[in-house]
Amino acid sequence: MISPDTKSATARKTRAPLLTLRRREAMEAWLFLSPTVIGFVVFFLGPLIAVFGYSLTEWNLLTQRATWVGLENYTDALGNNPDFWPVLSNSLIFAVGLVPMNMALALCLALSLSRPAFGNVFFRVVFFAPVVTSAVAWAIVWKFLLQGEAGAVNQMLATVGIDGPNWLREPDWAMFAVIFTRVIKMVGLNMILYIAALQSVPRDYEAAAVLEGASRWQIFKWIIWPLLAPTTLVIMVVTTIGSLKIFDHIFLMTGGGPENGTLVLAFYVYQQAFEFFDVGYASALAVIMFVVILALTLLQVALRNRNAS
Amino acid sequence: MKHTVNLAALTLSAAFILPGVAANAQDLRVTVWTGSDAHLAMLNGIADGFVAENPGTTVTFETIPFSEYTRGLTLQLAGGNPPDVGWLLESDAPTFVSAGVLADIGPALRGDASYDYADFAEPAMGLWVDGEAVYGVPFSTSPFMLYYNATAFAEAGLPTPNELATDGNWTWDSLRSSAATLSDGTNGFWGFEGKDGQGYDSRILHAMMPLIRAYGGDAWTDGQCGFTSAESVAAMEMYHAMIFEDGSVVPPGEIGDFFAGDAAMTINQISRVTRLAEADFDWGIAPLPAGPAGQADVIGQAALVVFEQGENRDLATALIAHMTSSVGVETMAEFFPPARSSVLASDVFTQGNPVIAPEQMMLVRAAIENGIVLPAHQNYPQIFAAMRPRVDALWQADADVSAVMASVCDAIAGDL
Repeated sequence: MISPDTKSATARKTRAPLLTLRRREAMEAWLFLSPTVIGFVVFFLGPLIAVFGYSLTEWNLLTQRATWVGLENYTDALGNNPDFWPVLSNSLIFAVGLVPMNMALALCLALSLSRPAFGNVFFRVVFFAPVVTSAVAWAIVWKFLLQGEAGAVNQMLATVGIDGPNWLREPDWAMFAVIFTRVIKMVGLNMILYIAALQSVPRDYEAAAVLEGASRWQIFKWIIWPLLAPTTLVIMVVTTIGSLKIFDHIFLMTGGGPENGTLVLAFYVYQQAFEFFDVGYASALAVIMFVVILALTLLQVALRNRNAS
Repeated sequence: MKHTVNLAALTLSAAFILPGVAANAQDLRVTVWTGSDAHLAMLNGIADGFVAENPGTTVTFETIPFSEYTRGLTLQLAGGNPPDVGWLLESDAPTFVSAGVLADIGPALRGDASYDYADFAEPAMGLWVDGEAVYGVPFSTSPFMLYYNATAFAEAGLPTPNELATDGNWTWDSLRSSAATLSDGTNGFWGFEGKDGQGYDSRILHAMMPLIRAYGGDAWTDGQCGFTSAESVAAMEMYHAMIFEDGSVVPPGEIGDFFAGDAAMTINQISRVTRLAEADFDWGIAPLPAGPAGQADVIGQAALVVFEQGENRDLATALIAHMTSSVGVETMAEFFPPARSSVLASDVFTQGNPVIAPEQMMLVRAAIENGIVLPAHQNYPQIFAAMRPRVDALWQADADVSAVMASVCDAIAGDL
């Protein structure tokens, strides 16, 4: 018979350490991750959840009075607000106009500048420079260039006999003008991504195709383009999301005008929150915008996967 | 180790206690929209007098750019970080008063005999008073005046607006005629520019009201939209013709700045005179032209307010009383025309501006005495947002002015 004292001494000897190696590693990992996780929860997840909560209230930013209204903000935006659908339509027109133009131009520039050649680095810098240029400076310069008669763009058009429109003041042209100037500003970023992807395409494939007598177009169509597919998907998703969230460019270039012709959803959310102080309604619109962007992103990924399979 | 613990304790104490000390010291923060060095130097000079009377107090003027002012101020209020005192525009007055975010400073001002609250003209206080409550004191009751480039008029051999006014011929028709003669759009020089070049977007009411009121119309009165009245439509038809038929107004989408010498005339307030300090042309200030309804002066107003959330409301009220005392108003009158009758009537006002001649300050005085403040409304943000895209349609060459004005009224009717 073993005495209780002896049993206790044995248990002390064989007891596992307080922290096993596995637990200690896990704890260290969490400690290292904690700044990011805390930042994510506090600055992203928290506000995101809060926006859902706010969207169910009528909350006036100025008076700080909030009233629970359930889904009323959503039903009003989707069913009763005559501005909502034109605004959503403007956002989609902006995205549909910008994404293909941006991607096509970025690909063309990347194909031209991906190979080592004299002056290519210079031109890459030239096309990338607008990306890092201040949005305010960019807008001011383009507002000068796109003036009615006195603008440089119209004066250049006049030299070839074209009577240019008042770009930022005519509803038919303002959306085109903001899309075009945004494309010129941001195309450099996608160009760099495409250049990186092109430089990772093995040269052997191309050399083999040349030996087989393939034309440049055939090489692009059957070798390069398929290999660029993952990059293209990333660029398309990111550019689409960015274009649907566009705010600063519209704010600075047109303020949503003329005649609300460039009033996009993000700007409309801003207007509701910071001009009308209606945070609850703005939050509901932000949630709708989130759902639209999420749906379009998932659709793009699904279409891409179907094509790939 | 002990040293480390002490250091940590001291740091924690500093973090928690110092804000309390700062609050006890009563640092007053005043939000303003001016970034002008001259304006800020004048304001700090007035505040120095207040600090001398209230030892231990500091006053800091915090500039929020005009275009972001209301939004920035609202976010400070919503974030629980209200300024103690702030400037507030006339267009925001009803919204802020009805929201209950402004403190009633009436009892303190009325209770101070030396302040002489009755010296403020009743019409000037209209927007800032609700019954017995006083929610703000106007520091600027600034009429819209016509600035003109005297050099351009002399070179064209035209009588200046002041000469026309002296002869009783200064009307919107004569302004139109002068603007058309002076305009040379191909060389980037126009006869007339809307207020601060923003008359087609953020300041459409500033651009429209002098004209509409001179024709006998108004924006809205007693909940009724006035843009569709025959007078309002006639006024805007005239302005539309100046832009698109005469080509004499800096058109929408173009940038032409009077103060940079790109336009012969503009309508603005006297606080903008600082921009003419380095002008390479002679200039003058004239009254607004008369219309079919006669002379109709328009006033833009801004007031000093105390915020209900502020921790130092009493001291903040005292600061407003100091700034809008007779002495304070006399000092501010260099840039901000006063609402105090005694200062307005004094030579201090007409002779206090080193840049504007006394006879021209007499014109400013007359405009203040006769002017009507710009339209304001409790739902002003919604009204402005609703009317702006409709008014955009007016700035097209083929616009049907009457139809556009009707669409403006349709859009804002619900908010009126």
